[in-house]
Amino acid sequence: MSSRLLALIPLAVAINVAIGRIVAELSLPVYLDAVGTILVSALAGLGAGIATGLISQVFAAFVSGYVWLAFAPIQVLIALLAYFAARQGGFRNFGASIVWGCLLGVAGGALSAFISYLAFKGVTAGGVTFLTTVLVGAGIDLPWAVALSSLVTDVIDKALTFALVGVALRSLPVRMISRYPLALRALGR
Amino acid sequence: MTAPGPASPGLARRAHPLTGLSTAIAVTVLAFLVPPPWGPLLLYGASGVLVAICGVGRAIRQGVIVCLPLWVFLFLLHGLMGGGPTRSLGPLTLSADGTIAALVQAGRFGAIITASLGFYHAFDPSRFLNAVAARGWPMHVSYLFVATLHALPAFLDRAGASIEAQRTRGLRYRGGAWARARAVVPLALPLILGALAEVDERAHALEMRAVAVGGKRTPLDPPADTLADRTIRWSLLLLVLLALVGRLTSWPM
Repeated sequence: MSSRLLALIPLAVAINVAIGRIVAELSLPVYLDAVGTILVSALAGLGAGIATGLISQVFAAFVSGYVWLAFAPIQVLIALLAYFAARQGGFRNFGASIVWGCLLGVAGGALSAFISYLAFKGVTAGGVTFLTTVLVGAGIDLPWAVALSSLVTDVIDKALTFALVGVALRSLPVRMISRYPLALRALGR
Repeated sequence: MTAPGPASPGLARRAHPLTGLSTAIAVTVLAFLVPPPWGPLLLYGASGVLVAICGVGRAIRQGVIVCLPLWVFLFLLHGLMGGGPTRSLGPLTLSADGTIAALVQAGRFGAIITASLGFYHAFDPSRFLNAVAARGWPMHVSYLFVATLHALPAFLDRAGASIEAQRTRGLRYRGGAWARARAVVPLALPLILGALAEVDERAHALEMRAVAVGGKRTPLDPPADTLADRTIRWSLLLLVLLALVGRLTSWPM
């Protein structure tokens, strides 16, 4: 692993956590806790993105319980789709970022629902579980309620995350972004 | 969030770092293997006793704080709204199967989160680094872990400073969801761009120390891996294997 990646990955994990704090301060019903993972996948490629995602998940588990390690496959999926999005120029403008974010939201929401239902009986983080509870209260069966709430929250969350990463990539000075060839491709240059 | 401070005195502090990690992982696996409904609840009790004996009893209180919202939602979703035969408990009509499922899952959450937080409070980054170096882990793997641990509190402080700075400049981030969502960019962007600007400086420092080269390092002061530590770790592995065999052969899924 290169020195640049060794420097980049811990900072990206810290970005994941710190933006989570900003979102909590703004009382937004999303997480945006994969900004660093998606950013690294678009800058440095798949391996670095997966490493960032998995380390983020390990740290989330380290400070709040190893039970959350069950969601590690989602981090791999996020890195994988962000890498493909970058290769396809998925961050070249706001619209493209939103479309790729929605795609990831659907895939991530489906996987998240599967893990939530099997390992957690539908009870995970506050916002999603609140929505699940409302849907079950409205008469929807638990598996469908978990799937629907995961999909809705993930699509919104990942669309916003991709949009934010797109803004960040487009704001980088040419001198800095030219060190990451994949990022140039992600911006369609 | 802060990096674990000076580790608390007691058994957890004196034990080899990998013993604490193994215990937390074993509890996590056992929580899904022990027979329901009593197994997870007993395991939760055992985790509480264990962290108290090891001198990290504050993990019990913190564990309850983390678990409380999860327990409430479990009770609502499975106890109150669950299907199947019902039972009356005072003014409440509860699903019998749902209540048991909620108790089992609540016990799992409690056991895993208490054990994990116990390890977190006993965690000493430099001892852990020395322990894994003595085991022959590549330097960059342990560097990633410890560098992240140090970066987290610094970035949380930066996020707080960014919020205060933008608030001073008149950024409005109250009101509707759209107004709050728009405030994310001016708050998060400086954080992201600042981090990327830092990468080169850090990469040069790592290059000079040949961290990326890998290879085995010799720790100056590795923590002692005593017979008791090794016995505990092997016993935990045996326990997990026995629980796995038991689960696969007789206990209900």
